[in-house]
Amino acid sequence: MEPLKIVITGPVGAGKSTLIRTLSETEVVDTDAIATEAIGKPTTTVALDHGTLRLDGHLLHLFGTPGQERFDFMWEILAEGALGILLMVRADRPETLPVARNILDFIKSRAPVPYVVGVTHLDQPKVWQPEEVALFLGTPLEHTQGLDPRRPEEAVRPLVRLLELIGTNA
Amino acid sequence: MSKQEQLQQLLGELKAALPELKEIIVASSDGLPVAQLGESEIATRLAAMAATAHGLGKRIATTTHLGNLVEIVIRGDQAYFIAYAIGDKGILGLTTPAGSNLGLVRLEAQEYARKLAGIL
Ligand SMILES: Nc1nc2c(ncn2[C@@H]2O[C@H](COP(=O)(O)OP(=O)(O)O)[C@@H](O)[C@H]2O)c(=O)[nH]1
Ligand SMILES: [Mg+2]
Repeated sequence: MEPLKIVITGPVGAGKSTLIRTLSETEVVDTDAIATEAIGKPTTTVALDHGTLRLDGHLLHLFGTPGQERFDFMWEILAEGALGILLMVRADRPETLPVARNILDFIKSRAPVPYVVGVTHLDQPKVWQPEEVALFLGTPLEHTQGLDPRRPEEAVRPLVRLLELIGTNA
Repeated sequence: MSKQEQLQQLLGELKAALPELKEIIVASSDGLPVAQLGESEIATRLAAMAATAHGLGKRIATTTHLGNLVEIVIRGDQAYFIAYAIGDKGILGLTTPAGSNLGLVRLEAQEYARKLAGIL
């Protein structure tokens, strides 16, 4: 099976590490360290997450990035050779959308490949709907999907969509 | 003395013990600069990178059954970058020219990482 490198990116707390933990069929490499800033969770990814998943006859290698801009050198390293990007954002933190846009632009300038947007935390109060997120980011609505990355059947959906896009692109 | 002053004083002592050191930084475990001695423009970046190298080093150590991570060494042909954990709260990172007495650098740096752990 031909391995496909997918980058999972987005701001802190969007659920990147969670998604990889939910979906990976191999032991996950995670590099979470104790957070010293108030980010709403005790740890944060400082290098990368890695997991693998077989999907539609492809072997996906999922590489999760750190979310903070100070780790932009890891965005650059992980973008190398990527064939698709999953940008994850929190529906209940619309103030992080400019950061998300910035990360997407940064990675797309290094790996101009198809991308999808995954919108998480839709179960929380006062959320932006995926349509609103798409409008804000200026991304096509059909590339934007709501998901709870803690649920396998939902976590896989944006990757299925991404594979379709990569397929038509190839 | 404030925590910041105490950290700064320890870095000054380390530099006095090893004058050949170029950059000395203390980073938080999640890559924020906490204290530094040296070129300030690269300190912020180095703090993030020290956390990345250390976080990844820990995972490489467990994956390959090395036991607990003791140190990170990046060796260039002109200098070394060496980093030690400061308890579980931070990382001490430093650069020293090729040809430095590495045994001494390691000993002193580990000693200061222990001292810093008492303050962080
Ligand atoms: N309620 C809710 N919690 C979520 C959802 N997605 C992720 N989380 C939680 O939000 C946190 C996200 O953390 P993490 O995966 O480390 O985010 P990362 O910074 O993007 O890697 C975890 O505690 C998840 O359990 C969601 O859709 N709804
Ligand atoms: Mg993470």
